[in-house]
Parts: sequence; C-alpha cells; structure tokens
Amino acid sequence: MVIRRLRSLINALFRKKKNVKIGLYGPVNSGKTTLANRICMDWLGEELGSVSEVPHETREIQMKEKVTIKQDGKSLTFNLVDTPGIATKIDFEDFVKHGMKKKTAKTRAKEATRGVIESIKWLDNMDLVMVVLDSTEDPLNQVNITILGNLDARNVPFIIVANKVDMKKSRASRIRSAFPKYTTVGISAKTGFNTEELYSSLINSM
Amino acid sequence: MRKKNLKIKFVPFEKYKKEGMKAIMRDLRRETIILIDAKLPAEEEAKIIEETMKRINGNSGDFTGIELSSIDFTNNKKNATQLEKIKSMLIQTILGKKRGMTIIGPAKIVRRIDRNPQELLLYT
Repeated sequence: MVIRRLRSLINALFRKKKNVKIGLYGPVNSGKTTLANRICMDWLGEELGSVSEVPHETREIQMKEKVTIKQDGKSLTFNLVDTPGIATKIDFEDFVKHGMKKKTAKTRAKEATRGVIESIKWLDNMDLVMVVLDSTEDPLNQVNITILGNLDARNVPFIIVANKVDMKKSRASRIRSAFPKYTTVGISAKTGFNTEELYSSLINSM
Repeated sequence: MRKKNLKIKFVPFEKYKKEGMKAIMRDLRRETIILIDAKLPAEEEAKIIEETMKRINGNSGDFTGIELSSIDFTNNKKNATQLEKIKSMLIQTILGKKRGMTIIGPAKIVRRIDRNPQELLLYT
C-alpha cells in the first residue's frame, strides 16, 4: 500500500511530462463506452467500442491514442482508456436471462471477472479519470463509493460524469448531493448534451 | 425444502487485519455474512472485489460474488462536535481503523444492501 501511494505521488509529480491517460471508470452499464464513442466521434471521427444493453459488453481495456480536444481556445491531447464496468458480483445466469446460450454466458462471465480485475489494476496508471455514473440510479451504491475512495486514496484527479440526463428518470442533482466535494458534470453521452462543459472540465483539470 | 440458517460472523477489524483476505473469502464461500467493526480503507475494498472476481468460476450454483457495503461514521456525521472529530482521528491514528462498519455477504444469500448515511439495511 505504501509503495502504491509513493508510485501515485511520483506519477502526480511527473504527470504533465508523459503521455496523458484519461480513464473512464464506473459501474456496469453506466455508459462508459457510449461516452468513449462520443468523444472519439467528436474528435477523431471514429468509434472506440461496441455498446449493448447486456451487462459487461466491455470486458477488456480499450484505448484510443492521441485524442485532442479543443475548447475555449485551449486544447488537450491524451490517450482515452475505456475500462470494463466494476461489479461485485457476476452471475452467468443473468446473461442467460438476456437470451444467451449457457456456454456463451459462462464464457462472458469469466471474461467479465477478468475485466473487473484489469480495471482495478489500471487505476494506478491513470492521470485523470472520468467516473461515469448513471443518473437514473441511486448514486450511493458501494461500487461508486469504492471507485471514488480509491481514486482519492491514490491521488488520481477525477471528474464525476452524471450520464443519461436525457432520460426522464434522471436525477443528476442526487449525484451532486451525494458527492458534494467533487466536480460533477451532467451530460448525455447518447445525445451529446452538455459535452462541451465536460471537455472544458477535462482541459481545466490537467 | 428446508430453509438454510443464516450465518453472520462478527470479525473485529484487528482480527481481519491479522487473518487477511483468505479467511474472509473462505467464510464468504461458506455462505457466511461478515460484519466488521470498521470502515475498510478504499484500497482494501478494491482488493476484496479483485479476490472475489478471482473466485467466481461460473458454474451453476457456485459462488457468484458478493454484496459489500460500508459506512464511515467519521465522514457521515454532519453535526459531529470537535471532541467527536478528535476522538475519531485518535482512534484512526492509534488503531489504524476508521470508525464505521462493513458488511460483506455472498451474493447468493444477500440480495442487496441499502444504505443511508448512517444505516445499512440488508435484504436476503
């Protein structure tokens, strides 16, 4: 733990000198890959990964290098890292309920467990993280708290992205009141609503 | 069908630190709910999630993961007096533990844990 803290401190000191990595973290199905695709489409004209309503669609770390965003006369170039959603339980039967065959579901479950482990391991490699939360869900779930706590403990700066604000059930204000200490930007990765504010926040955070 | 008895094990934080992750994982796989008398550090929670993922093998009826929830009495008490804050800080410094509580249960038994800042409500 001491070594990890030292490493993150050293990372923080030399953050501006190396290739900047911005990670997308969050629970399963919060819209991380949709946001990654939105950013890549906006600035590179191509998508990063596939999205699905079936949980754990992203089961491996995916990276897009040299994404440059520009806002208000400033710019930021970084490597965008999309991570598998973090979960505390994975039951292959949940995939079967989504219409998958048992064998495929078991393979997906195994891959998903590896994905969660990878996501956690990559936390130390990030220079900035966008914590993508589904604003239609209760923000006070343990996965969210564990992610934020780990970023805090490792001195990794982060922005909370309250996603899915285009949906009727969305309550971005609940996220703001649950985590008042942190910067929260409400967006819709699907429609692109308010992504300009997110881009400004990213540039200003580095 | 006979309903299984619910097993809850109270683990003092000092014992958790001494016995480590293996003991916790063994109990969870034996369908025991663990109650720890402290808020675990965030890194420790991440380690528990990692270890959990390593133990999910995807067979029918087998271990499918955990429900985990914790509350931090030091951060959540909005009206804490200076004395209470100092007391919490001292406990944390001397014993290395955060005043709070952590519940970890096997996902097959614990359906969900709801939290409000001061309470945890566990559903089986």
